[in-house]
Amino acid sequence: MPKTTMTLRMLSILALAAALFTGCQKESSDGPVTIKVAYPVAVDAPVTDILNQYAEDYMAIHPEVTIETVYAGGYNDVKTMIQTTIDGGGDAPALSVLLATDLFDLANAQYLTSMSAHLDAMDGRDDYLGDFLPVFMENSYYMDEIWSLPFQRSAVVLYYNADMIAEAGLEVPTDWESLGETAGALTLREGNSVTRWGLDYSSDWPYWVFQPLAMGAGQNIVGAGDTEIYFDDEAVIRAIEYYNDLSAKYGAMPAGVQASWGSAVPDFVTGNRAMIVHSSGSLSSILAQADFNVGVMGVPGETEGTSFSVPGGGNIYMTAGLSEAEEKAAFDFAVFMTDAARAAEFSIATGYIATRTSCGENEELQAYRTEHPQVEEIQNILGTAGKEFAIQNLGEVRTIFHNYLQAAFNGQMDAAEAMKTAQEESDRALADFR
Amino acid sequence: MKNNKKTTVLPYLLILPTFVFVCIFTIYPTIASFVGSFYQHRLNVPRYREPVFNGLGNYRDIFASADFRMILQNTFVYVLALVPLTILAALFFALWLKNKRFARLRIAIFHPTILPMVSAATIWIFFLTPDYGLFNQFLRLFGYSGAENWISNPNLALMALVLVGFWKEAGFYMIYYLAGVQNLPEDVYEALKLEGAGPLTVFFRFTLPLLRRTTLFVTTVAVIGAFRAIDHVIVMTSGGPSGTSTLLLYQLWKVRFENLNIGQASTITVILVMVLLLFTISNFLLNEKRGEK
Repeated sequence: MPKTTMTLRMLSILALAAALFTGCQKESSDGPVTIKVAYPVAVDAPVTDILNQYAEDYMAIHPEVTIETVYAGGYNDVKTMIQTTIDGGGDAPALSVLLATDLFDLANAQYLTSMSAHLDAMDGRDDYLGDFLPVFMENSYYMDEIWSLPFQRSAVVLYYNADMIAEAGLEVPTDWESLGETAGALTLREGNSVTRWGLDYSSDWPYWVFQPLAMGAGQNIVGAGDTEIYFDDEAVIRAIEYYNDLSAKYGAMPAGVQASWGSAVPDFVTGNRAMIVHSSGSLSSILAQADFNVGVMGVPGETEGTSFSVPGGGNIYMTAGLSEAEEKAAFDFAVFMTDAARAAEFSIATGYIATRTSCGENEELQAYRTEHPQVEEIQNILGTAGKEFAIQNLGEVRTIFHNYLQAAFNGQMDAAEAMKTAQEESDRALADFR
Repeated sequence: MKNNKKTTVLPYLLILPTFVFVCIFTIYPTIASFVGSFYQHRLNVPRYREPVFNGLGNYRDIFASADFRMILQNTFVYVLALVPLTILAALFFALWLKNKRFARLRIAIFHPTILPMVSAATIWIFFLTPDYGLFNQFLRLFGYSGAENWISNPNLALMALVLVGFWKEAGFYMIYYLAGVQNLPEDVYEALKLEGAGPLTVFFRFTLPLLRRTTLFVTTVAVIGAFRAIDHVIVMTSGGPSGTSTLLLYQLWKVRFENLNIGQASTITVILVMVLLLFTISNFLLNEKRGEK
């Protein structure tokens, strides 16, 4: 008898579990809309507070819309989450902030919805789009449609300790040669050990920080087309050789691949490095910590008086498979998030670059720029920025490029040979897309 | 008769929830990956967005690729370096700290286990910083003067991962051995003492064989854990430089979510499952056989 009771109990537990399971399935209704916004936390700034505030402000104006913010780690985590949720038939975030360069692959895989239809239906479409800095819009177009809106954008810059340079009676570098010499002169040695390096040129985010060097030699690694690459170009090879020369010839930094992204900023603000190449997104943190005059510029080019940069960071994308009401709310919130006044505030709070021209009219940002001329400088550097490495089949091609770039940095391969192989392998990886 | 029938139903009912979960989350995905591995299925290539049958093409491509062979080699080196090291250390700690008065030391050795791997790896990046990093400073005490840029050196990056895995896991497996050691029969050891058996004899002839089941369990868990390592690869090296620290699971993640190549990701999954299955079964059989002797 007790066993019968037991069996019955088990059955009822199972029935309950089944009921709970089906009960948890999403309800769908036509009334109020709920959208999720997935956001990567990639910098040392109170972005979660800011984003939550955006959501609250928006919901105050639009009570029929509920916005849930999802903070899912870094860019890669958000990208992975979007894919697993959509593949699993789950409730994917309607908006997500992903790398600007993620466009082609994700659009091909139909994880994204183009924003063109909504933009076309918008009053003042051209004014709205035209107000974004053009260089930030470069990664938004694909198949004659617009897929993303610039949101948290940055650029590669060279930070220098202006006091240190002045004390040594040196000048701010203006080309490759003077960068190497200045950095070499600022390197301090005690016996066999180095107590201060003149330059920290990280090789984390390898393609990104390398691009200004390649452009400085006269050829970006990527062309205007979505399958156009120039890895084995003579200029690109020269740029690798210059990177290696920074240690071998000028003695300005340690040899080989530098995994110094995380330590570069602390080292710079404590005076252990005279110059670092880093993201413009680190500016706020550097200014807050450094007790010396911080200079900022593009990475000097091979020719006297030139300097180069490349944009980076994330755009807002709209996910595929949304209902009409969700799409509408999502797009509207995306426009709300990219509003010029908010972009200006966001720039002050985080150190990301103000994405829109009219941000310059914002008084707070003007005051902030007067106080920190470096912010203005970074805005100017963008004028010298080229296209960030975005291409079809990016994951595979980027890995190939990184592998051979690092092999060349570490002296395992000669630069020309490494780039020749990288070009051949990448051409094969791109064959399906040409 | 009636009663008998009921007793046979109940056990099945009891395992039903687990069985359903295993089916949904283990058996079904394994079969799906196995089937998927025979298809060319690439989400970012329009003509392969729907799976196209490709026979053994994925396996051929993967084994023909020098990069993948290097990744397999990295993974085996990682497992073969990490597992014996952690198990030896775990056993050593357990024997050393079995006495209650060492409770505090046990906590010290166990504490890395509590940290999430991501935090542990982040801390170790700073330990491994060239020049002033703690780890290099420590090595210099012993006269080390070699390469210091562990994470970016093609010969050292994988070892840096082993180091972090070791630091993180050894304390965890110590707990299993501690439990095993504390369950060893006291009287046997007293008898051994009376017989005048030396410490080496006691260890190799009695302690080690008596801990055989613990060792079987720990080895299985440690090997599977080592094959599944990914967190510190992402945080510390991103598989670099030049792929020299890319492990199988990291490659799987990259192929699926970065390259959007589902067919190839399925193939890697099948390879991973096969390797683990082979290991677990052979480990189990070998130990069962020895148990029968």
